Amino acid sequence: MTARTAADLRRAAQADRWLRAALLVAAVLVFGGLYARLFTASLPGGFVSRQAVARAIPVAAPFYRAQLLPNAAARSVHSATAAEISGGRLRAFWYGGSREGASDVAIYTSVYAPGPRTWSPAHVVITREAAQRHLQRYVRKLGNPVVGRDRSGRLWLFFVSVSVGGWSGSAINLMVSEDEGETWSPPRRLIASPFLNISTLVKGAPLQFADGAIGLPVYHEMLGKFGELLRLDAEGHAIQKSRLSWGRSSLQPVIVPWSKTEAVGFMRYSGEPPGRILMVRTTDAGRHWSPPVKTVLPNPNAALGGVLLTNGGLLLAFNNSQDNRDDLSLAYSADYGNTWQIAYRLEGGSTSPQAPSREYSYPWIMQDRAGDVHLLYTWGRSHIKHVHFNLAWLERRR
Amino acid sequence: MSVSAALGIFGCGLLSLAAAAAGLRVQRLSLRARIAAMLAAGLAVFVPVGELSVAGYVRGVTGDVSMTTLVLAGAACMAQLTGRAPIGPRDRRALLWLVAAGAVFLYPFALGLTPFDPYALGFGSVGFVTTLLLVTLAAWYARFNLIVLIVIVAALAYLGGGYESRNLWDYLIDPLVSVYVLGRLLAGASRRRLGDIKLAFGRSAGR
Repeated sequence: MTARTAADLRRAAQADRWLRAALLVAAVLVFGGLYARLFTASLPGGFVSRQAVARAIPVAAPFYRAQLLPNAAARSVHSATAAEISGGRLRAFWYGGSREGASDVAIYTSVYAPGPRTWSPAHVVITREAAQRHLQRYVRKLGNPVVGRDRSGRLWLFFVSVSVGGWSGSAINLMVSEDEGETWSPPRRLIASPFLNISTLVKGAPLQFADGAIGLPVYHEMLGKFGELLRLDAEGHAIQKSRLSWGRSSLQPVIVPWSKTEAVGFMRYSGEPPGRILMVRTTDAGRHWSPPVKTVLPNPNAALGGVLLTNGGLLLAFNNSQDNRDDLSLAYSADYGNTWQIAYRLEGGSTSPQAPSREYSYPWIMQDRAGDVHLLYTWGRSHIKHVHFNLAWLERRR
Repeated sequence: MSVSAALGIFGCGLLSLAAAAAGLRVQRLSLRARIAAMLAAGLAVFVPVGELSVAGYVRGVTGDVSMTTLVLAGAACMAQLTGRAPIGPRDRRALLWLVAAGAVFLYPFALGLTPFDPYALGFGSVGFVTTLLLVTLAAWYARFNLIVLIVIVAALAYLGGGYESRNLWDYLIDPLVSVYVLGRLLAGASRRRLGDIKLAFGRSAGR
């Protein structure tokens, strides 16, 4: 061995020692950072639920109104969502285009004024092209939107997009508005799945947590079909999640909290007959959920909507059939989902006007601050229909 | 463009560049031609055509790639450019096995077949971080420097919010590197089995 080679070896050994020391120091520092983040994270807050008030017969005169939302641009519309905005108005969103899954599908919005009881002309909130440009990634089509409000009053609009394949290749995107939906932040991507972040969709209404976080019910459709509850921080990053179900037959969860820690969730069922709405419960603010059980309410593998009313009752809008979506009904429960009664048949009766294609689906149900109930749903794919009634009308149906 | 979008585009671009260089077998060219080919491929990958670059299209399909993919793609580009593999076989083998173990733990359960969801651990779990710490210390002790380096880079990117994800798993592994690793390990196993058969056949034929 020459003197030069020995010196080279010594230098290499020295460099290796320095490298290993540097790696150890760096590892200690970054793990210190990881533990610091773990131990300084605030404890998750409980649900912010609508406080149930003592049940009383409403004094207002009962009313029930229904109308189709304006649709001048899209041949096919679907999956409506809405939030109450200032002045007791409603702002609705849905997706529309030449057909479901087409590249010209965009997210539309319209505003309902309670005085004249009219909806404004629909206009586009975001197109596929705009989503692609802002997200800095290829987008092939847009899908389900859902809207919610955070504790500081901002509107959060979530919508599904697909880059490759069908709806099972979906990912969720988020836009925020600080002016009741007049203008929106650029969309950004929510990361909710380890599989290239695909196969995560939305349908159910977002929830508020006491710590300012948003709860977003989501579902997956790739191989398995199951529901989850995402917890999002104030910037809209997914920071925790819990599994509502597992397997291959439950999707599109709707979660209804009634206290800080308790909530009930309902899901569309896509498994073997008999088709029934699935139900799950939590008693620890959504960290853990009971195994899904079938309710007595039928489900033809279709979405449903649910809301806890101010009188403490639970109201579900659902397709009252195991086979098709041509019957849309309301079911009422006074005991948080243990027992149900059918309150009203919205569509499917012999007297109601029929849509060109008899599909009445994807209901979105909510109660405004005045106590009125609003229901939006797909009416034959050609329109979104708005049904508006008060608790006095509902009381007469029970 | 936000920092997370820039990092995401960079990662997907580097992966595309590594795939292009391997496909074109740039390594066979002269040094000057290699540099020119990699520069041309870099321009083709990162410069937008219309609204998006090739990296943007890849990102639409793959999402943001993990730091493991980033390091392996960078090493592959370096190998094509210089003609020398920057990662030794011992380090590479250890990394492959570790990624395979992580993938086998993560992905089947993340499909929702059971109530257990290992992906949720990546949002902040003392058990998960402690397990990762022990694995990192064991790798350091066994002189698997590449593993230690990748964990450090991934944890730094996670702490700094480098990507849109707030889940540590997304910085450590992704399905692309998992499929690559499982493919490499299966190919290695079948090669060894084939070698054993040939050896046994040679012995019996020599009797």
